[in-house]
Amino acid sequence: MRKLLVAVAAAALALTACGSGDTSSGGTATITFWDNNGGPARQPIYEELIKRFEAANPDIKVEYVGIPSASVQQKYDTAIVGGETPDVGGVTTSYLAHLVGQDALAPLDDRISGGPLKDKLLPSLVETVRQTAPDNKLYIVPSSANMDLIWYRTDWFKDAGLEPPKTWDEFITAATKLTDTAANKYGYTIRGGAGSVFQLITEAYAYSGVDSFFKDGKSTLNDKANAELVDKVADLYKKATPEADVNNSFTQMIAQFTGGSVAMMHHNLGSYGDVTKALGDKVAAIPLPVGPSGKRTVVPNPTDGFAVFKNSENPDAAWKFAEFLTSAESNSYWNEKVGQIPANTDVRSEAWIESNAHVKMALGVLEDPATVLVPAPVYLPQYSSITKTDSEPQYQKVLLGELTGQQFLDEMAKKLTEAQKEWEDRK
Amino acid sequence: MRTRTWAPYALIAPTLVLMAVFLVYPIGSVVYYSLQRYNVTQPWKNGFAGLDNFKQMLFDDPLFWQSLAFSAKWVFVEVGLQLLLGLILALIVNETFIGRGMARALVFSPWAVSGVLTTGIWILLLNPSTGIFQELSKLGIGTPGTSVLGNPDTVFDALVVTELWRGVPFFAILLLADLQSIPKDLYEAASVDGASRWRRFTSVTLPHLKDAIILSTLLRAVWEFNNVDLIYTLTGGGPANQTTTLPLYVARQAVDSHNFGYGSALTIAGFLILLFFSILYLRVSKFGSRA
Amino acid sequence: MTETLIRPPVDTPPPPRPPTKRRRRAVAEEPGKRWLIHLPLVVYLLFTLIPFYWMLVFAVRPTGSTQLVPWPITFEHFDTVWNDIGFGIFFYNSVVMGLGVLVFVTVLSVMGGYALARFKFRGQKVFLLAMLCTQFIPGAMMLIPLFVIFKSAGLLNSITGLIIAEVAFQLPLSLILMSGFIRNISVELEEAAMVDGCSRLRAFFAVTLPQLKPALVAVGSFAFIGAWNQFLFALMFASRQDKFTLPVGLSYALGEFNTDFGALAAGGVVAAVPVVLVFAVVQRFLVQGLSAGAVKG
Repeated sequence: MRKLLVAVAAAALALTACGSGDTSSGGTATITFWDNNGGPARQPIYEELIKRFEAANPDIKVEYVGIPSASVQQKYDTAIVGGETPDVGGVTTSYLAHLVGQDALAPLDDRISGGPLKDKLLPSLVETVRQTAPDNKLYIVPSSANMDLIWYRTDWFKDAGLEPPKTWDEFITAATKLTDTAANKYGYTIRGGAGSVFQLITEAYAYSGVDSFFKDGKSTLNDKANAELVDKVADLYKKATPEADVNNSFTQMIAQFTGGSVAMMHHNLGSYGDVTKALGDKVAAIPLPVGPSGKRTVVPNPTDGFAVFKNSENPDAAWKFAEFLTSAESNSYWNEKVGQIPANTDVRSEAWIESNAHVKMALGVLEDPATVLVPAPVYLPQYSSITKTDSEPQYQKVLLGELTGQQFLDEMAKKLTEAQKEWEDRK
Repeated sequence: MRTRTWAPYALIAPTLVLMAVFLVYPIGSVVYYSLQRYNVTQPWKNGFAGLDNFKQMLFDDPLFWQSLAFSAKWVFVEVGLQLLLGLILALIVNETFIGRGMARALVFSPWAVSGVLTTGIWILLLNPSTGIFQELSKLGIGTPGTSVLGNPDTVFDALVVTELWRGVPFFAILLLADLQSIPKDLYEAASVDGASRWRRFTSVTLPHLKDAIILSTLLRAVWEFNNVDLIYTLTGGGPANQTTTLPLYVARQAVDSHNFGYGSALTIAGFLILLFFSILYLRVSKFGSRA
Repeated sequence: MTETLIRPPVDTPPPPRPPTKRRRRAVAEEPGKRWLIHLPLVVYLLFTLIPFYWMLVFAVRPTGSTQLVPWPITFEHFDTVWNDIGFGIFFYNSVVMGLGVLVFVTVLSVMGGYALARFKFRGQKVFLLAMLCTQFIPGAMMLIPLFVIFKSAGLLNSITGLIIAEVAFQLPLSLILMSGFIRNISVELEEAAMVDGCSRLRAFFAVTLPQLKPALVAVGSFAFIGAWNQFLFALMFASRQDKFTLPVGLSYALGEFNTDFGALAAGGVVAAVPVVLVFAVVQRFLVQGLSAGAVKG
C-alpha cells in the first residue's frame, strides 16, 4: 500500500507539475499571491495589476489565488501549520496579530525604508500597523485605509424633506421618520449577527467622544455614554429597523439595503462597489454621527495591506510585488476601483479622489485636525474572541431586551481590561 | 462462506487502508489536543492541560449544555421529519403516473445543490426585503417585514424547513432504491389475500424497509448532528445562541477564537455522545436481526 | 411469515424460489385515489421549486431590480461568473473530482458492503463501528492533521488529492448503506449459481449486481454530489486558482466586500442545472423493470 501511495503521490505531483508549466527555466521566479477578498469585485483588479507587474518584471511570474473572505483566516492558519504559505498575501490588521504570533510573516521595516515607499505611506496607517505587532515592527505594507460610515438613500431623504443627520439625535429622528412598517420600509438596519460588535464599538465611541480605548489600564468601553448609545440603537430595533436585523451578518444586511427596504446602513467604504452597483446615484455616504459632546472620535477600521511570508523562497521577488502593489500608480488604480483611501500619499493629489464623494468625505474626516482616532486593541490575542465569539450573542440579548447596554459593555470591558493587563505584563 | 476465509478481509482492505492512512491520525490528534491548552494566538500558554478542558466544559460552561440540548432537539426533529416526508415521497414517486420521471428528477433536485448555494438561496428567500414574505405581503398575505429567522419564536421552524428542503431527497432516494428490492409477488400475495393498501404497507413494505430506515436515520442523524453550514450562515447560531448546535459552538471556539484545545474537548464530547447513541440505537432497533 | 420470505436466514437457505416473471402491478390502481398522489406531489413540488425560482430570478435580473418576474432578462451575471471568476475551470475540476469519487466510492463500497452483508468474519462489528466513528468528528477539526498528511504525500494542489480525501470521508457512509442494500437482495439465487459451478465472483456479477442497480444509482449519486459540493477540503487542500472547484467559486459571491447575489445565483444555476439534468436521466434506474412494469401500470 505504501507503494501505491507513493505511486499515487508521484502521479499527483506529475499532474501538478504539468499544470504549472516550467517554473525554473531561464531564471524565472514564480511567486504566489493570495487575495484575501477573492471574488468578482476584486479579482479583475488584481489580474490587471499582475499583468502590469509581469510586463515590467519579465523574470517574475505571479500566480493569483482568490480566497473567499469568510474563510481567509482558516486558510492562513492551515497554511501556516502546514508550512504552505504563499509568498505574498493580502492581510488586514484585524488578524495580523495572529499571523505575527505564529511567526509567519517577515518584517518589512528595512525594505520599506530602503526603497521608493520611504515616507510615502500615510503615517497614521503605518502607526496602526506597528501597534498591531508586539515588537512594533511593520509586518504588512499598508495599502489602503477604510472608514466606517453610513450609506443612506438620497432619494428617500429628499422625498421626506430630511437632511442627512449630523448628530445621533438627528440620526434617530431620521430613522424613525423614514420608517413605514406597513410598507416594509425602515429607517435603518442594525448589524446584529456576525461582525456586529466591531461596528457597534465604532458607533459607541463616535457618540461618546471618549478619546482612548484604555484609561489607566482599564477599558473605557463601558463608559456611561457608550452604554447610552448601545441602548439608543437597541431602542430602534423593530421600531425603525427590520425584525431580521438581530441575525444580520453583512450578507443579510446588504440584501436589505440593496433590496430597497432600508434608508440607512452602517458599514464602511469597502461596500462602495456593492451599494453603487445596485442603487447607482440614489446612495451617498455620511460619517458616523457625533454625540452631545460634538467631538469627532473615530475608531479606525482595520487597515488593509500586503504581507511577505517568512517561508517564501523568493522573498526579494515577493517584496518587489508587494512594493509594486503599493506604488503610487497601482495603489491609485486599486483604491479608485475599490473606493477606499489610498495609503500612498502620492495618490492624494489625483483627480479621482476629488470626484469620488465617499472617499473625499472619509479623507476629510480623517485629515481634520479635530478628529481623534481611538484605535481598537486588535493587537490583543483575545480581541476577536472577546468581541466576536463571546460578545456577539450577548449583543443579540441586548437587542431582544434581555440585557441592558451597560451590563453588556461591563462584561466585555472587564475581559478586555484583563487581556490588556496580561499583554502589558508580557511586554 | 461461513467458514473463516480471507475473502471478506480482502474486500474491506482498501477501505481499511484509506481509513488508517487518512483518518486515524487526524482523529487521534483531536484526542491529543483535547488534553492540551492549545491556542495559536497565545502560544506561550500552550501545554498539557490534563482534564481541565473537560472540567471547564462540564462544570463551567452553560453554553456547552445549551448547545447540546439544541443539537438533540435539532437532530430529533429534523431526522424524524426528513424520514417521514422522504418515505411519503418515495412511495409517491414509486407509483405509476404521467410525468413520473420528471417529477422524480424535480423533487430530488435540491439534493444536487451545494451547501454554499443552499444557504445563499435561503438567505434571499427568507430575507424580509428580497424574500417570499415580502412578495406574499404584497398579495395581502401576512405582514410585511416578517422575519422568520429574526424572531425567536419562529427561527427554529424556519431552520427546520430549510434543512428539510435539501434533506428529504436523501431519504426519498434511498428508500425508493430500497423499495425496488421488495419481491413483487409479496404484494400480489397480499392483494390476493384482500389486504388493504395500508395493510400491505405495514405488513410488506415497512418490514422490508426496516434496515434501510434504521441505517439511513442513523447516518443522517450523525450528519445532521455534525453539519454546521446552514445554521452558521443563516443565523450564526443566533439570536442570542438560541440556535447554536454543539458543532457550531466547536467551530466558533476552535476556528474563530483559535481555542483549539477546548474545541477539541467539545468535539470529543460530541464523539462520545454519538458513539453511545449509535450503539444504543443499533441495539434497540435490532439492526440486521433476521426473523 | 413475510419476514422470512424477505430475508431468508443466511445460515439455512430455503430452497431457491423460482424467479418471478410476473409484472409489477402499480399500487395506484384505483383511479379515484389519484389525488392521493397528485395533491402531495404538487405541494411538495412547490416547496422544492420556489427556492429554485428565486435563484433563477436573481440570476437573470439586473442588480438592484426587484421584479418578481424579471423582464427583460440579462446574462451579465453569467458573464461575471464565467469570465471574471473563471467558472469554466472550476466546472471542469468539479466534474473530474465528482466522477473520480463516484467511481472509487461505488466500487469500494460494493466490495466492502458485500463483505459485511454476505460474510461473518472476526472483527466485523468493530469494523462497522470504526467506520461509524469516522463520521463522528467534523471535518474542520481534522483539517490541520489531514493537511499535513496530504502535504507529505504530495497530494496538495491536485484533483487527485481531493478525490482521495473525499473518498476517504465518504466511503464509510456509502459502504454501510451499500451493505444494507446487498443484505436486502436474497442470497439464494447467488448460492444457486454457485451450486451450479459458478465462482462466487461470477455469481455476484451474474446474479447480484444486476439487482443492485438502484443501489448503485443511489450510492453513486450521493458520492458524486457529495464531491460536487465539497467546500472545506476543496478550499484548504488547493492553493491554486486552477485547482479550485465550484463551491469555492460560489463562496466568492458571499464575501464581506463582494456580496454579489446575481453572481451567486448565476453560479448556482451553472452548478446545479447540469447535475439536475444528469439526475433526471439517471433516476430511471432507481426503479427496476421500468419497461416491464411502469408502462402497463
